[in-house]
Amino acid sequence: MTTPRQQLAEIFVELAGGNPDAPLDAPVLLSALAVRSRELVGARACGVLVALAGADSGEAYASDAGARDLVLDAHHRGSGPGPYCRLTGQPMPRTDLRSPVARQRWPHYVPRALDLGYTEVAARPLRGREQTVGALVLFGGEDQQLTEEALEFGQSLADIAAIALLRDRELHRSRTLAGQLEHALTSRLTIEQAKGVLAAQRSLSLDDAFAILRGHARARQRKLTVVAREVVEGRLRL
Amino acid sequence: MTSGDGYADQAAAAWKRAAAARERAARAEDSALRHDAWAQAPGQELHEDMAAALRRTAACHRSSAQLQEAFARRAGRWAQGGGTPPRFMTGVAEACGTRSAALTLVDTAQSQLAVAASDELAGTAQDLEFMLGEGPTRDATTSRRPVVASRAVIETRWPCCGPALTALGVREVAAVPLSTSDSCLGALAVFDPRPGLVGTRAFADVVGALTRMVLLDPDADPELYGGTDHRDVVQQAAGMVSVHIGRPVDDALALIKARAFALSVPLETFARGIVAGDLSLTSEGPS
Repeated sequence: MTTPRQQLAEIFVELAGGNPDAPLDAPVLLSALAVRSRELVGARACGVLVALAGADSGEAYASDAGARDLVLDAHHRGSGPGPYCRLTGQPMPRTDLRSPVARQRWPHYVPRALDLGYTEVAARPLRGREQTVGALVLFGGEDQQLTEEALEFGQSLADIAAIALLRDRELHRSRTLAGQLEHALTSRLTIEQAKGVLAAQRSLSLDDAFAILRGHARARQRKLTVVAREVVEGRLRL
Repeated sequence: MTSGDGYADQAAAAWKRAAAARERAARAEDSALRHDAWAQAPGQELHEDMAAALRRTAACHRSSAQLQEAFARRAGRWAQGGGTPPRFMTGVAEACGTRSAALTLVDTAQSQLAVAASDELAGTAQDLEFMLGEGPTRDATTSRRPVVASRAVIETRWPCCGPALTALGVREVAAVPLSTSDSCLGALAVFDPRPGLVGTRAFADVVGALTRMVLLDPDADPELYGGTDHRDVVQQAAGMVSVHIGRPVDDALALIKARAFALSVPLETFARGIVAGDLSLTSEGPS
């Protein structure tokens, strides 16, 4: 029988030792993390809220559809254990959802959570490099109370999620930038070639050839690169 | 107009970029410390890896700052009418213990798109690779591994390009790919570097710094602050020759490369002759 600690170590290894060249699928990973977190800590349900800086809307992944909607709704309303964690960067201690204090604090959240059979909640921040990028929300039920050990693991799991997210974001960013750079460099090359083609075809100076290319693209509201490529490939004569 | 026009601004901008790089290094170090603390908890080995990765990032930012500062000093001296016109790659070459280094950016098919060279030798070496389609940079970007070759190896490994490189006086060449997590932007080639350079932490930091300066940093500039050559004239000449010979532009470019190499004329000089109308190419030979 493996202990939660050993299972946790396995998740770490999976993530840290996973093939660094293989792109990480953040949604798949975060969903799996939510499901495994629930099993691991013996919670009733578990949700991951992700709200990266600069992103308009948040995303939620959870072990159950009900928990997912609850976590996402709380984020949109800006009120609940997840938003508290994300905004303050502090852990949200275990809270009894049946207490009047909880109901007063989160009037929309608490009735919905109780309807789903959640009687207590706790959350841990997803700690990014410079700011908190989300929260891991753990729900307990009548027969599945959140233990101290469960909450201790909660932070480790939240850290895994944060690292996975940051890696995914960096990968995405560098891929986008590399694509843009290559496009900018090849465009320039094509435009210079097109100037040469046009200059030779019509016995023009390179500057005049460029003026014609640019004029044509502007008049027809087409991209200069596209026009240049057509000229180079002989599909357009100007 | 004096030689220093605009270079005082260049120097100031480079000092600013250096300061920003130092700030980024400090932030990465801070984050590494936080992960160190988290790594103290049992089962938190991942944080050790994160801390190590952040320290590598910090080292790249520091290297970046040093290169910017070297460039700033050179631009500052030039602005005051001394020294030689500043080239960013001169500082990169110096950091590698040589005068000759070239940064080459390639497309996904490993064709050269642009080159920034520290001196004439490095530029000529990249032109040779561009003309002959083989050489250390191409091997480094294709294999995504460092390539190190000494004189004898240079001549056998690249039968066309190799002898031309050694004829320039190159005794050793090292080329290292500039890679992001899933793509290769190009390579840094250094000629007659400090012995044992490849494999050192400092060299890896220079390569990491260049990758950030060209692509990843918020103030990244693939033009390397004016030092990048796109071979515009060669591409213009290719367009003209393609019309003259009635062939696709790629064939025209291949013809220009082959002719320039056969005649031992620098590629750019040859292309300038075509563009100026002093030289016209047919499929048979220059006329």
